[in-house]
Amino acid sequence: MVKKKCVAMLLAGGKGSRLNSLTKTVAKPAVPFGGKYRIIDFTLSNCTNSGIDTVGVLTQYQPLLLNSYIGIGSAWDLDRMDGGVTVLPPYSESSDVKWYTGTASAIYQNMNYLQQYEPEHVLILSGDHIYKMNYELMLEYHIEKGADVSISVIEVPWDEASRFGIMNTDSEYRITEFEEKPEDPKNNLASMGIYIFSWNVLKEYLIRDDKNPNSSHDFGKDVIPLLLKEKKNLFAYPFKGYWKDVGTVKSLWEANMDLLDENCELNLFDNTWRIYSVNPNQPPQYLAPSAEVFDSLINEGCTIEGEIERSVLFQGVKVEKGAVVRESVIMPDAVIGKNAYIEKAIVPEEVHIPEGAVICGDPSSNEILLVTEELINELLTNKL
Amino acid sequence: MNKQLLGVIDATTFHEGLEDLTIHRSLAAVPFAGRYRLIDFILSSMVNSGIRSVAIFPKFQYRSLMDHLGSGKNWDLNRKRDGLFFFPSSDINGNNDGFGCFQHFAENMDFFDRSLQKYSLITNCYTVFNMDYKMVLKTHIESGCDITEISKHGQSLGMFILKTSLLVELIKNREETGYTTMKDVVLDINHNLKICRYEYNGYAVMINSIEKYYSTNLNMLEPNVWKQVFLKDNPIYTKVKDEPPTRYLKGSSVQNAMIANGCQIEGVVENSIIARGVKIGKGTTVKNCIILQKSQIGENCVLDSVILDKDVKIEDDTVITGSITKPNVIRKGTVQGALIKS
Repeated sequence: MVKKKCVAMLLAGGKGSRLNSLTKTVAKPAVPFGGKYRIIDFTLSNCTNSGIDTVGVLTQYQPLLLNSYIGIGSAWDLDRMDGGVTVLPPYSESSDVKWYTGTASAIYQNMNYLQQYEPEHVLILSGDHIYKMNYELMLEYHIEKGADVSISVIEVPWDEASRFGIMNTDSEYRITEFEEKPEDPKNNLASMGIYIFSWNVLKEYLIRDDKNPNSSHDFGKDVIPLLLKEKKNLFAYPFKGYWKDVGTVKSLWEANMDLLDENCELNLFDNTWRIYSVNPNQPPQYLAPSAEVFDSLINEGCTIEGEIERSVLFQGVKVEKGAVVRESVIMPDAVIGKNAYIEKAIVPEEVHIPEGAVICGDPSSNEILLVTEELINELLTNKL
Repeated sequence: MNKQLLGVIDATTFHEGLEDLTIHRSLAAVPFAGRYRLIDFILSSMVNSGIRSVAIFPKFQYRSLMDHLGSGKNWDLNRKRDGLFFFPSSDINGNNDGFGCFQHFAENMDFFDRSLQKYSLITNCYTVFNMDYKMVLKTHIESGCDITEISKHGQSLGMFILKTSLLVELIKNREETGYTTMKDVVLDINHNLKICRYEYNGYAVMINSIEKYYSTNLNMLEPNVWKQVFLKDNPIYTKVKDEPPTRYLKGSSVQNAMIANGCQIEGVVENSIIARGVKIGKGTTVKNCIILQKSQIGENCVLDSVILDKDVKIEDDTVITGSITKPNVIRKGTVQGALIKS
């Protein structure tokens, strides 16, 4: 194997249970986003745009779709002679089967994968976030600081800081303390779950963590605190820009709506930092003479005969005559029947909204309605 | 290999009426329906009909065609055995030797000798359609004909099926027989080859003039037409681009239009085909137009009955009009600022 300066490990086994039925059959990184993408496209595109050509993708929960989606990585230009993308599922050894019990144990069990590239640095990522980031700059920072570990952080509003893992640093961004969801935060630098480790340090601490029976084998809870306790060089890497955890139905909806904001920092039209994805190859979208489209993002393969306002439509969506879609996210191949009305909702893949149905998030609670099969069945029964 | 077809695409054709669009590109690479090139229709029809080996014979300006096709990956033709073959003409004099030129084929005789497919399909590169050749081949075999010519309304579509061995014979004996093209063979009555016709009932239009190009593009706006061309189970493949979905900004109004990905639309679009990555500015009206990829139209413009080739820039407050019967064609890469009328 050719030696690699930096190898990325992408944790993509998350269940994302707060996304409810959206993650019933797919892992969170495979959830559709932004009219054409899946969440993992952002991290994989960041890798390829940052010049990182070796990426291990760790899967565990509902991996079928994710595995076939990633394939050999050609969509992200990660089908390489050396390195490229490798899907790393849990596996069995002669003694027993080892599930990934925590983020650190997942990496620990794939140390052989890393070892074959003899990397100098290992970049640990999660496939759960929407953002554009140049990891190469973070790696330069990591090397410049002579850090053992660099952790990417973002400034969050002070009143929200208690929802995050907060890094307390000195004026040089050296991390002095890490607090998981502090009640009384001393700082507002939240960990983005992006780490660069020097490989030797990572190796040593993963082996020690594995031997510790009291550890939950998690980077945030176990490995980082131990490194801090032992006075290793940990630096926070301040990131500025759009970054969003789309872990709930509401935040997934919000992040989609952000794309319709003209001042949004996440620019999908930026040629210098393309977000790549598996292209569905469908004909251009067709807007019928009866169509009305305002302030929306619409993908190829859609047929629009109704009215669309402030919405995001994925490939192959059909909106029939008289139907109205407002402030909603309509996932691939869904059909909105004649004269149906949808507002503040997420319609999952291939769902068929019956004719004349009215689907609306509760305006008083400002909640977003995730359409489910049960809801559709209910609508159909009530109609009969 | 007994019932397999070898795909042979003649991409040498040059139509004088299409000069405005073919000055920089081969006819096969002329953009169509927002995200395709003309060759995508024949190539996808072949692939969807189970053809695994396709030879393309280009002649003029084929750089854009090579760039579009690449390794053939987008048509699943990057195979270890068979796949996509590219045979540019060695004749650089620019002679147009006619469709299905045997001389051009003869220069690559080893390809035909090496191919194991029992039958060959010879086609043009500029028909908009989506055909299942499995049916045609079946009919050809059952009829016992030597050559089957595909036609629509009795007019030849420039597509022929024959045994590969017969094709090889025709190419090798071209000097004795005097046949230079497939057309020579089917039009000659002084041979004992049995020539049959296969009448195709689906949608098929050969693009051989600007007017045809324009009207066929706009034809795609009719649901009963695009439903015959863009089939879910037999898709038209093309070179994929990583364009984001199209963004409709505040103030846009779009009706009766086919719009590809990566566009940013702030103006009014009616009865038009908009290709990938096009920008249409605020207060601008685009009507009865074919806008090719990456063209940028400024604010407060009016474009009616215009074909904008790729990478055209229209400055603010520009008015360009043509007519439905004679669209105004703006050449690739130009900048338009003044008032232009035709």
